[in-house]
Order: sequence, then C-alpha cells, then structure tokens
Amino acid sequence: MDNSMESMLDIYLFESTGLLDQLDELLLNAEKQEYFTEDEISEIFRIMHTIKGSSAMMQFGSLMTIAHRIEDLFFIIREKGIDDNFKMDLFDLMFKSTDYLKDEVEKLQNGEDLLENVDVFTNEVDNFLNKMNGVEATDSATAEAPAAEAPKAAAAATTSEPSDDYTVKIVFDDGCGMENLRSFMLVNSISDVCEDIKFHPDDVETNAGTCSYIVENGFLISFKSEDDYMQAVPIIEGALNINSFELLSENMSVDVDLTPPPAPVEAPKVEIAKAEAPKEEPKVVETPAPEAPKPAPKPAPKQGNAGNAPAKQSLISVNLSKLDSLMDIVGEIVITESMVTSSPDLAGLKLDNFIKSARQLRKLTDELQDIAMSIRMVPVSGVFQKMNRIVRDMGQKLNKDVRLTIIGEDTEVDKTIVDTIGDPIMHSVRNSMDHAIETNVKDRLRLGKSAQAEIKLTAQHTGSEVIISIEDDGRGMDPDGIMKKAKENGILTKPENEYTKKEILALLMAPGFSTKEQVTEFSGRGVGMDVVKKNIEKIGGVVSISSELGKGSCVTYKIPLTLAIVDGMEIAVGKSIFTIPITNIRQSFKITEAEVIHDTKHGEMVERMGGFYPIVRVHEVYSIETEKVNIEDGILIWAEASDKSYCLFVDELLGEQQVVVKPIPAYLDSFNVKSTGMAGCTILGDGNISLILDVLSLYDATISIY
Amino acid sequence: MSNANAEQIANEPTPYTEPEQNDDDIINRKYLTFTSDGLHFGLNASYVIEIITSHSITHLPMVPNYVKGIINLRGQIIPIIDIRLKMNKPEIEYTEKSCIIVIDVDGIAAGILVDSISNVLDINYEEISAPPKNNEQDLVNGIISLPEAVVMMLDCKKFVSE
Repeated sequence: MDNSMESMLDIYLFESTGLLDQLDELLLNAEKQEYFTEDEISEIFRIMHTIKGSSAMMQFGSLMTIAHRIEDLFFIIREKGIDDNFKMDLFDLMFKSTDYLKDEVEKLQNGEDLLENVDVFTNEVDNFLNKMNGVEATDSATAEAPAAEAPKAAAAATTSEPSDDYTVKIVFDDGCGMENLRSFMLVNSISDVCEDIKFHPDDVETNAGTCSYIVENGFLISFKSEDDYMQAVPIIEGALNINSFELLSENMSVDVDLTPPPAPVEAPKVEIAKAEAPKEEPKVVETPAPEAPKPAPKPAPKQGNAGNAPAKQSLISVNLSKLDSLMDIVGEIVITESMVTSSPDLAGLKLDNFIKSARQLRKLTDELQDIAMSIRMVPVSGVFQKMNRIVRDMGQKLNKDVRLTIIGEDTEVDKTIVDTIGDPIMHSVRNSMDHAIETNVKDRLRLGKSAQAEIKLTAQHTGSEVIISIEDDGRGMDPDGIMKKAKENGILTKPENEYTKKEILALLMAPGFSTKEQVTEFSGRGVGMDVVKKNIEKIGGVVSISSELGKGSCVTYKIPLTLAIVDGMEIAVGKSIFTIPITNIRQSFKITEAEVIHDTKHGEMVERMGGFYPIVRVHEVYSIETEKVNIEDGILIWAEASDKSYCLFVDELLGEQQVVVKPIPAYLDSFNVKSTGMAGCTILGDGNISLILDVLSLYDATISIY
Repeated sequence: MSNANAEQIANEPTPYTEPEQNDDDIINRKYLTFTSDGLHFGLNASYVIEIITSHSITHLPMVPNYVKGIINLRGQIIPIIDIRLKMNKPEIEYTEKSCIIVIDVDGIAAGILVDSISNVLDINYEEISAPPKNNEQDLVNGIISLPEAVVMMLDCKKFVSE
C-alpha cells in the first residue's frame, strides 16, 4: 500500500512538474506577444484543471486551492476576455502563482509539509478579479444568467429531452450490440444509489428499436442534483462497454475516455485524474459561448485529453536507476561476449559456424549497446527553456531589456549530465544578466550596440563532447578590474605581471571571487563561478571564459556526452593495464635518451612543439615493477587536462577501446584514491580490471611525491 | 541470505528481547568462522554474500598494503582486504585453502582474504562476551569460547567503514 502510494506520488510529481514547466513556457510566449490566444487560455485552463484534479486526489489541499482559483480566473477570462489594462498584472499574478505551485511541488519532493493557509494567495486572485470586475461590472452581472440558460440551449440543440442540470450523455463502444439493454442495466444500477433520475430514450427496456438511436445520439441520463451525479459517476465508469460519457449540462463538457478493461498498472492514476474532472466540473459556473465569435472553447479540453492519449501510449517514464542497471548489464554482456568469442579454449580450432554466429552476436550486442545508450539521452531543451523565465524575471527586476536566444536545444546528452548542468547554466545566465548587461541603455547605444541586449544559449555536439556556451553582448570583463579585485581578495598565487589574459579570466572561477560590489538578490555572494566550475568538473567537463571589454563575454562548458562509456587508450605498465581517456591524449611518441632534459630536482622534461613538458614515469609513481625503465624502451603519451599538460611514460600502447566506466568501490574512498589519479575502473574483455587514469589528479599526485 | 535469516528469527520464539541487544551482529545466530595466522574469527553470516577461491586481483597503487586490490565479481568491483596484513601479520603465499569472503554491509561490499574457512556455527549471543576494553582490538567486538577454539567476532560494520 505504502509502495503504491509512493509510486502514485512519483507519477504525480512527474506530471505536475511537467505541466508547470509547460505553463511557464506558455506564459512566457504569451507575454512576449502581450496577448493570450484562445488556445493558450484553454491550455492554461486545462493544465490548472488537471493539477487541481490530481492534487485533490492526492489530498494536497493547498495545491488544489491555488489551482482551483486560477482555473476560475481563467474561466472568467475565457468567457469575457481581459481588459488590456490588466494584462501586465495578470502576467505577474500568473508567474507568481506558478512559482507558488512549484514551491509547493518542490516541498512535496523534499518531503516537507505543505502550506496550510493559502488565503494570502487566494485574496490576491480575488482582488485581481474584483479589479477586473470593477471595470466590467455590467458584464459580470450577466455572467450568471447565460450559465443558467446554457444547459437548456445545449440540450435543446442535441435533443428536446431531459434538461435537468446534470445530464450525462453516454456513448457505448462501437458495435458492442444491445445498446438498449445495456442502457437499461446501467439505469437500474444507478437507480440503486440515486432515486430521481430521468433517461432518454425512456423505453429502452421494451423497445429494441432504440438501439440505433442510442448508437447515433448516445444515451442520456439526467440527475436532479450534483450529489446524485457524483454518486453515479463511479457506476458509469465501472460499467462495461462504455466508450465515453460527458456532462451535457455544462457545454464545456469533459470527455472521460475509459481505458479498455485490463488497465496497465500505471494507468489507474491517470484514469482517476480524468474521472476527477467531471466531478469537479459542476462547481465551476461555466457559460457556453455558442453565439460568441470565438470558435472553439468546447473542443479544447477534449483535445487536451485526447491529445494526450497517444502521447501517453508512446512515451513511458522509467526510473533512472533502472536505466543505470540496464546500462550495467549491457556493459556486462558486451564484455562477456568478447570473453566467449576470444576464449583461449578456441585457439587453433577451425569453427566456421561458431565464427558466423559469433559475428552475428557481435552485431546484436553492438546494437543493444547503442539503444541502451540512446535511452539515456535526453535533449537539453528542458534546461534551456527554464532560462527564459530567469531572463524575464531578472530583466523586469533589474530593468534591463534582454532577449534570450536559444540555439541547438535539441542536442541530446546523458540524463545525469542534463540534471547537473541546470544549476551551472542558471548561474552563468544570472551572472550575465546581473553583471554583464549594461544597466544604462545609453551605454549600449554609445558603443553602437542595439538597445535590446542579447544572451545567446548554445548547445552543440562535437564528436564525443557537447559544448554549451552562454554568450552575452554586454560590457565584457575588464582584466585590470579582475586583477585588482583578485589582489584585494588575496587569491593570487604568483606575481601579478606573470598572469596572461586567459589566466586572469580564470581567476573569476577561483573560490571567493566576486567583482560585484554589492550582494544582490541574484548574485554577488562570490560563490558563483567556482561552484559552476566544480559542478561541471564533477561530470568530467571543463569551463572556460572568454571576453572582450565592451563587446561581451562568453562562458563555455565542454562536457563529455556520457559518463557511462568513454573512448580509452589501453596502456600497459608492467603487468598492470590502465586506460587513459582518448580526450586527454594529445600525442604519443618515442624519444631517445638524448632528447630528455634533466632539471635540478631529478625531474625529466621533453621538448615538444616549442614547449617543455615534464615526464611522469607511471611505474615510478605507482611503484610498479617493469622491465622497461629505459626511456627508449617505452613510449611517451602527451596528456592534457584543464591547464595541465605533461607526458606519461608507459611500457606500451595496447590499443583503443570503448570502455564502460565503473566507479571505484565506496570502501576505497577513505584512501583518497580519487586524488591519486584513479578516476574509475573498467572491465576488460578477459574479465580483468583496468584502472581509468585521471590525467589531472595523477599530475597532482606526482607533484606530491617528488 | 539475510532474508532467510530474518525469517528464521521471525518464526522462532525469540527469548532474547533485551532492547539494548538489538544489534544485528548479536541477535543473529549463524556465524561463519575462519582462521587467519592461527587465530579464529567469526562473522555474522547474514553479511556474507559468497565465498570465492582463486581470483585474479588487480593491484591498486598508492593504497595501504592490506588493500590487496580489486576484483571483478560478475561485473561488480569489489575491494579485497588481506586480514593478515591488516593485523600487521607477515604476508604468506596463497594456498589452495586461502579464500575470499565477500561481505556486504549496508551496501558497501568488500572481500576479506583469509587463510581458510572453518565452519558455519549456530552461536547463542548470550555466550558471546565483550572483548577486554583496554585490549586494543579495533576489529573485534566479541569473544566466545567454543570447544574447538576461542573465536573472536569480527565487527563487520567497522571493518568496511574504515
């Protein structure tokens, strides 16, 4: 029971956050055009409706109340439109309310208690409504009237029969037969709980001819009161062969599509959420708009439900941990496959059929691996779209006119990476908004830039990496200013005049650096860029900053596409096998004894392409016994990571291979293995383990030894 | 394994219900005993995943000598600790009797390299006494005298959390 509640909550959170994101996007769009289209209003209405319904079901009172209020609000807006004077207020109110809802959902996610009192918010909505009504007082007086007339008109349009307030039209499955008897049975079972019901056609029991009428027009049941209707809904839902039913009295009826009987495990939640809709419906006073020129208020909610249906069927949400274990198993299969096919037992045998099937197996495992990988890939658009909102909010608060341009939002990266890059991107965008974009538009115009500033968010693939850049055309960074500030904060590590421009910009990412004089709501606490750098490095990425004073600046993240599989170069040192990520390797070459340059501390160096690079002997650092201690016997690998560039001396190269990265066991964390150059391990084709070297920390470990 | 044990406990009438004794190590009655350098040790069988003999160990650089390295146990990477070296005893050649006890304590897996496995015993917790306080025994949290030998109880939680 607990378990099913848990997964219900999961689904609820997943859906709600999805809907709220959708809402945000919608609002931003609408704000840009300063106009809500019919569709948008209906869509907001539908989103709020769904949130209200599912929140009510999960018994989250505050969420339900807020959603209900907004739903009411948009209902009125849809019917009467909105005066231009209130548009801006409405947008603010809506953004505030989505924030409100998001906060609440987040609380749920963190297992915190929800707000119990949402009066502040509901009052705000009421005030807004009053303000609106103040202007359209005459309209509001009549708002009720058409509501009462509506059902009659609607009912009259379809049939002259029952016109009670709660009339349900029931449509049976196509070709299920005996519709009249089915109707009769349904009426029978409903009459057990509700005393006073009418139905049409009323001679279903005796007149088989009504069959065709029901098939064509549906079967109508009218209830005296809302309570009766509510009681009947579960019965109607439970009855067999019912395709859909809708409440006619409200012209804006909500179709309830009953899923075919053997519902999948996850389905009930969705179904209930939908079923919730008609129950709630009568509470809202809704007016039909047959005479209004607005074309399609009625189909909107239907579209919502129906439009979602195919999407629900072709998309499923899966727990990430399941994908992780899938990835693990696929990795295993790939390894085991090569263990089987290259088994030493087979050496020297002539096995035509075996080789043929082995080749087939190889092809299939490759395919399996590709698919497993692709499942984990998600587009970065979700993260990017969120920035729209930040740019808008900060733009308003700081009074800066900024346009956000998004390029390449379809770029796909590993799910874990998408989850991690959200915060860093947000930091960078905030930095750009707060620090980089000129406060005074005149400053921009004087430099020949357009009045509206631009922040460009780009994502693109380059082989095994994805590059994300946040570019602005603001005032750029002043190296002298940075230098001055860095000196004040005492974070310089070498004489001032030895810093290159690149290094000065990199100071921005040092802990405790912030050029903004004052701490603002958005930034200036000096924890920005170093956190960004740390987060990006955590997923194996690199951050770089480039900037030109007066023209703008650009923060670039270079991130590997996936953490699970890397292209590696297998190298041998003594009996040990290590893997170095290909991305870290610049070159590999052999040198003669004469080329080695010795320094005063027994260190060795080599000249390469005009630069001098230290040589790190892996066998010495890791105390591995090997015969190849002479520099001419082994091979040098020129490795580079971040700002470190040096040569590793190893016995030999074994070849390039894609490897599945596995973390080093938790037990070993206490020995600080991560800081001694080991990033993880991987299982080789023969079942042995190869350690994956972290070029960056290996160098640091080396320094500490010498 | 732990499930089976839990069931067993649930089915049996449980006479030992003192609340302060609800440490898993003590309630459970099945203990795996092994020897290392002539000493007899026992550890709670519910932690044991499996016992493996001969396995190629990948050496890890820059770790204490008692961490022998890591092994690949059907795709899971498991660190191997030589309990001899951990106790600062001399290292010996592995024999055909030496084997690795793979344990899993709260999700942290580790392999203990021991001289030989002795037995699986049912031990009543009440017979286990605490080790002498000032006797420096980081790894041991109980001692029991059995007919065959004196067995020291290995504190698995401490062992893996180090």
